[in-house]
Amino acid sequence: MIETILNFLNQKEVIQATVVIGSMGLFLIGLFGLLTQRHFIKLFISIEIMEVSIFLLFIGLSFQRGLTAPMLGDGIKTFTNMNDPIPHAMILTAIVIGMAVLALGVSMAIEYHKLTGITDVDKMNRLRN
Amino acid sequence: MLGLIILGTFIAMILIAFKTIIEPKLAHSVVLSMGIGLSSVMLFVTFQSPDVALTQAVIGVGISSLIFLMGLKHLRGGYES
Amino acid sequence: MSLKRTIPMTTVSGFAVSAFFVVTILNILIKNMPSNIYRAGDELLKLNSSEGVANAVTTVVVYFRGFDTLGEIAVLFIASLGIGLVLKSTTKEKIESEESNFMLKTGAKLLSPIILIFGLYIMIYGHLSVGGGFQGGVIIASGVLLLLTSSNHFHISHRVVERLETFAGVSYVMIGLIGLIVMDSFLGNFLPHNISQMGLLLSGGIIPIIYIIVGIKVGSEMSVIVDNMLKRDIDD
Repeated sequence: MIETILNFLNQKEVIQATVVIGSMGLFLIGLFGLLTQRHFIKLFISIEIMEVSIFLLFIGLSFQRGLTAPMLGDGIKTFTNMNDPIPHAMILTAIVIGMAVLALGVSMAIEYHKLTGITDVDKMNRLRN
Repeated sequence: MLGLIILGTFIAMILIAFKTIIEPKLAHSVVLSMGIGLSSVMLFVTFQSPDVALTQAVIGVGISSLIFLMGLKHLRGGYES
Repeated sequence: MSLKRTIPMTTVSGFAVSAFFVVTILNILIKNMPSNIYRAGDELLKLNSSEGVANAVTTVVVYFRGFDTLGEIAVLFIASLGIGLVLKSTTKEKIESEESNFMLKTGAKLLSPIILIFGLYIMIYGHLSVGGGFQGGVIIASGVLLLLTSSNHFHISHRVVERLETFAGVSYVMIGLIGLIVMDSFLGNFLPHNISQMGLLLSGGIIPIIYIIVGIKVGSEMSVIVDNMLKRDIDD
């Protein structure tokens, strides 16, 4: 019984379906938070959840069982039977840029609160203070 | 065994994400987002990509949550929603 | 439900239904894909053997896609500039009202040299094992954050950090232009890179040099961002 469940979950199509459905569910939860929350900092936390889900989708879809990490180590001396290194390089850039955007957003929230004292998104409807 | 690890981690991440958004206290919400980041590091190691796992652990969990906490200290209302 | 809640619920449920259809079609397509697909990464892995670098991801980030890394450094520079302009004030002082805790002071004295040296190690050995310039620079910035929050007498002199960042940014473009003059391609590999040196510290030509320059720039930028966010106005 347990053996059949484990063997069913180890197939290639089931792993890819799990990755796609799981990361899309995480993306939808982040989107729900972005649309309904009212504090300014909570919007940035929701954006970070959406970013993490997309990174998981990228790397999960380029993963093949049985192949190893794309670097040499002890026991591995040639560049054969390795995973794809191109999505890893793209996700590295995306993680750093996501952090930069979040830092700039948080500093703008700090400055706005210092000028008007408002952190509720529904009350930020004035062009000048 | 691999499929079971991936399925369990995704279910845990979805539950933690739901709790992160609903939580009214902001400092607790930031700590829960660190939990999501660390679960994603575990998934990156399972997908045989150690470079991405180290980068997410340092930048996505470490510096990002610290920037949120420093911003909450400026806002002075870090315990209400 | 009020109107304020029906609009997000409608959007999210519409997204969910269309996502379900996309996932179904994707799964049907994935079942019908042939078992051996020709990947673009295989070509780059074969080309990587001629560069003499043990880490394939480092070669892709620094050498094959080096121009994207230059753009990413530009984005980080603009973000740091924006934070420095937004959080400005005429007089600044650090957010601290009393002395730090005894545990924090002792722990910071024990941990901060280890964190800084660890960041330097990950930055330098990026082409042999897991690591690189971005990770090492951010680790150094978090060590600086620990030093800033634990003691009152530690200051970052902005002139030294500014000169470091300028030197790193200018030398990246200079190395690219030297490659253009010597080898007819921007950011070409003009230093000797033998395959027999794979796994040693001095291997790979300009690739470890560029990653160390990237690490210096990222580390100094993140230190300035952290230092700006820990201060506040003197009349606040």
